Amino acid sequence: MVAIRAARMPRPPRFGATPLMMQETAMPNPNSEILIDAVQLSYGSHHVLNGLSLNVAGGEVYALLGGNGAGKSTTLSALLGFVRADAGRVAVGGIDPARDPDGARRRIAYLPENVALYEHLSAVENADYLLALSGTPRARAAIVEALAAAGLQERAYDQRLAGFSKGMRQKVAIAVALLREVPVLLLDEPTSGLDPRATSDFNTLLHAVRDRGTAVLMVTHDLLSAADVADRIGFLEGGRIVEEVTAEGPARFDVRGLRDRFAGRALAA
Amino acid sequence: MTLWRHETRLLLRSRLALAALILMALLSAAAVAAGMAEVARQHAAIDAVAAAQAEDIGAVADYVDRTKDAGSAAYYSFHPTWDSPAPLAFAAIGMRDVAPYILRVRALGLEAQIYDGDTFNPELALPGRFDFSFVLVFLAPLFAIALFHDLKSGEREAGRARMLDAMPGGRRLWFRRAMVRFALLLGALIVPFLVGAILSGVGVGAMLLIVIVAALYLLFWIGLAALVARLGHGSTANAATLAGLWLMLVLVIPTFANVAINRAVPVGQGSEIALAQRERVHAAWEIPREETMRRFYASHPQWADSPPLPQAFHYKWYFAFHQLGDESVADRVRAYRQGLERRAAIANSLGWVLPSVGVQALLTRLARTDLAAQLAYQDRIRAFHRDLREFYYGYMFRDRPFAKADFAHAPRFGAPLTP
Repeated sequence: MVAIRAARMPRPPRFGATPLMMQETAMPNPNSEILIDAVQLSYGSHHVLNGLSLNVAGGEVYALLGGNGAGKSTTLSALLGFVRADAGRVAVGGIDPARDPDGARRRIAYLPENVALYEHLSAVENADYLLALSGTPRARAAIVEALAAAGLQERAYDQRLAGFSKGMRQKVAIAVALLREVPVLLLDEPTSGLDPRATSDFNTLLHAVRDRGTAVLMVTHDLLSAADVADRIGFLEGGRIVEEVTAEGPARFDVRGLRDRFAGRALAA
Repeated sequence: MTLWRHETRLLLRSRLALAALILMALLSAAAVAAGMAEVARQHAAIDAVAAAQAEDIGAVADYVDRTKDAGSAAYYSFHPTWDSPAPLAFAAIGMRDVAPYILRVRALGLEAQIYDGDTFNPELALPGRFDFSFVLVFLAPLFAIALFHDLKSGEREAGRARMLDAMPGGRRLWFRRAMVRFALLLGALIVPFLVGAILSGVGVGAMLLIVIVAALYLLFWIGLAALVARLGHGSTANAATLAGLWLMLVLVIPTFANVAINRAVPVGQGSEIALAQRERVHAAWEIPREETMRRFYASHPQWADSPPLPQAFHYKWYFAFHQLGDESVADRVRAYRQGLERRAAIANSLGWVLPSVGVQALLTRLARTDLAAQLAYQDRIRAFHRDLREFYYGYMFRDRPFAKADFAHAPRFGAPLTP
């Protein structure tokens, strides 16, 4: 197994399915790996985030759902230190990404919507390069082990990525994230464009990542996938969480109910 | 594996980048080889001068020995001068393909002998010379553009930029990548040069200076690529913009600047000086001989006590009006030279704002293949010609017989000249 040295955070308690209505009810947890508290952020005169608050603890998967322009990608950009909040607080493991972007990024593995790697390098070489780039070089044996843990078939290890599907590329990227042993994983539309089998594989992989104590924040349109993998789902609209629901019992979420409530909010369930 | 090695592997795995680097190295090697071949040809021609000179003298020596006529000896004998290429000349042939590097002179009027070449040598300048300076100044920027136009935009278009920026130390990545590309490009360009320089016996200091100049010139183009990249356009737009800048900075502006300089500093043709000198010489046949000698003695009083001219033809009169022909065009020669120097000075000043011009000027200066080197060679020819004339005048104006053995006492180019 891949040696994971990340701090193992206790799984958050499974709250009841009672939705936390409106943003002001989500209290910031100072122990969260991801902390966003009353953040305001504008691009010129366009207000993108309007008092957004959310927190994700280690070993928790938080799915942030929202339509186009709701502020999902901006939220990730703020966590990665690409943009600075006008007001409020953003922290990754207690580090403000705007003030110390490298410090925050050392704690983050980020998978963009389309995981584009170097097509003229093999899966192992890509992982080798990205790990070196992030300051966490690993031996080939460890890389191969992580690729296997991510579900990549053995014959693909030394193949150039030119013929890889999106799912295979994601597995390589997830393997890199596993090897980096970071406490935070940010996912941007991870299941977009994946076929059902690849989506299922990815969700299984995500469960494994969460079980290793990683705090996972995924932004997505995909309610079904979010309901399958997330511990909490936050609905983002107009730059703030308008409703947050927590998984409960074997059924976890009332997907039909959620879809009905948010059908008009451009959620592709 | 260090990050530098990772970046190097990443770059060399790109077929386009690898092909560009190989092509750069091949062009540089070909240019160095061509330059060395040209310099070797010039060395061989110069080395052959001594034997040809001995043959020429041998052809006239018997006749001269029979007549003992110093005038015939002066008239029929050619004396070689040459401008040996500097060790660095292979890298920048400069004016050595348009200006003669061997000139066989007689004690007759010199200016026509010097400027006769101007009637045909400019044709050689049209195609230019494929040498290292050409590769550096004209071609290397294109390779820099090829390797740097998509440094960041390529990653953006491939969808990797955001992921790379999200890595810790992501910004150092671009610096590292730029440095790897720069180092490999500089290596492909400069290694063939260094091999040629070592084989040619170039000094370490000069080699180092060329490496620094080449590096700075490449960095200029890389900086330009970085500025264009900041506009945030795509790779294609970046490449088109940089190609346009290359066209302007390397071809269009220098060409227009050359035209402007030529208009601002009008300089006649060297061949006009040769023609004027010849016309003056030919006209001298119609001038009374005593008048010619009076003028000559006025400017050369050391020979004024020479015996009067006989009724028959005497070479001292002939050589005197040749010398007066030279002196009659002295002002034009001076103006011509000053005009050329003024043009070169303006062009060199332009080099401070146009790197392509500056680098070329610097390379030809270091290689001693520029106008200054050409004019210095002319100065050496003139000094030698003065000694040559004085040597033969000593026989002609004193009516001393000239024997075959006296050729051995004639001044030789390259030997210490009269101060």
